[in-house]
Amino acid sequence: MLQAHSPLWNYLSVGPNLFLLAVALLLFKRGLSRQFPAFFAFAILDALGELMVYGADVAPFVTAEGFWRTVWVYLVVSSLLKFLVIAAVFSQLLAPYSAISRLGRTFIRGIGAAMVLFAGVLAGFAHGDSNYHLISGAHLLEQTVFVIESGVILFIFLFAAYFHLAWDRLPFGILLGFGISSCIHLATWGVIANASPSDQTRTLFAFLNMGTFQLCVLIWLYYVLVPQKMVAKSAVPLPDNTLAVWNRELERLLQQ
Amino acid sequence: MTLALFLVIAAALSLLVILGVTVSRGLILSPRPALAQKIEPLDIEAFRTLVDPAETEYLHRRLPAAEFRKVQRERLRATAAYVRVAGNNAVLLTVVGQAALVAGDPDTVEAARQLVNGALLLRRNATMAMLRIRLALIWPHSGLAGAPVLDGYERLNGSAMLLGRLQNPAVPVRIAAML
Repeated sequence: MLQAHSPLWNYLSVGPNLFLLAVALLLFKRGLSRQFPAFFAFAILDALGELMVYGADVAPFVTAEGFWRTVWVYLVVSSLLKFLVIAAVFSQLLAPYSAISRLGRTFIRGIGAAMVLFAGVLAGFAHGDSNYHLISGAHLLEQTVFVIESGVILFIFLFAAYFHLAWDRLPFGILLGFGISSCIHLATWGVIANASPSDQTRTLFAFLNMGTFQLCVLIWLYYVLVPQKMVAKSAVPLPDNTLAVWNRELERLLQQ
Repeated sequence: MTLALFLVIAAALSLLVILGVTVSRGLILSPRPALAQKIEPLDIEAFRTLVDPAETEYLHRRLPAAEFRKVQRERLRATAAYVRVAGNNAVLLTVVGQAALVAGDPDTVEAARQLVNGALLLRRNATMAMLRIRLALIWPHSGLAGAPVLDGYERLNGSAMLLGRLQNPAVPVRIAAML
């Protein structure tokens, strides 16, 4: 069951990508593709990219080198798209809050730069898990991308929580999916790139990664399918006693 | 192996934080009315005296250096307590303002938007002020750094009162009577 190219393996290589294409279709049908163009592009291109990698894996005429070159192309394109989506979500989160918009942008640039530096240092310390640079390089690239991605996503969640910013439903779901995915993938790729695990452990990690991707796609599907509850917010009246205190303070201000 | 372990622990902690924020998000989406009752009143006059540079200068001139440092540290601790309350109130007012953003009345929405932005600015200033106060506790001769918080809190009073009036039209009568 938990072996490479078993029925479960084949399902997890193809199924989540079909779900992701369904997410893209739903975004388009509901007119959300214009609101979330980066995520829409990611949903289509990432799903097609993963399917392309799977095709290269099972097609007998594709050489090992050809497969790894396909993986590289997919990794670079997918990573760029993910960062575009994260940037768009953060921008949408800050849009209604002009008071901290500049602060947030300054911080995210700083955190992004620091995470790139940190990921570079970690990659420098890694000894590589294969004699073939094409393979070990791809694993290191995965580790580097997930270090940066998880750091930036963690910052966005903490920033929003600290200031109690209200998330829109879909951007929150998108970032939650990326957050879970990046943390699990960071752990697995960190072990694969640095601890030289056995082939059996690598296969288990591949299942864990694919299972996590399936979960994330389901999260995105849920947030696209279930509409925002407008009634969830109910106006909270300001307390009378506090108003009285403020009134006194205002009175004192006016008398100065 | 050490690097792998470090990355696994970092990833696990990050995941816990993200899931924790996700769970607590429910509180932001549906604020309870009791939340507003948690707003603590602040004695602005006492706060103003504490952050007044002239007061600090007076103490500096009148007291011996060692005594001044001791008194100044006490004043810094008191300022930190005020700043903390102002920061906490800012968080509560952010939530209150966000709940009012869905109101149908455009005036209420505008007042709520002003309140939210004012509260966020105050939260930011309170955080910066707390950092500066911690530094000032080591070097008491530097400024008290509470003035931006005081200014922000006074501005926030205006926004909160406006929103309160729009939410509860009975209140302006009382305000007018008091003035």
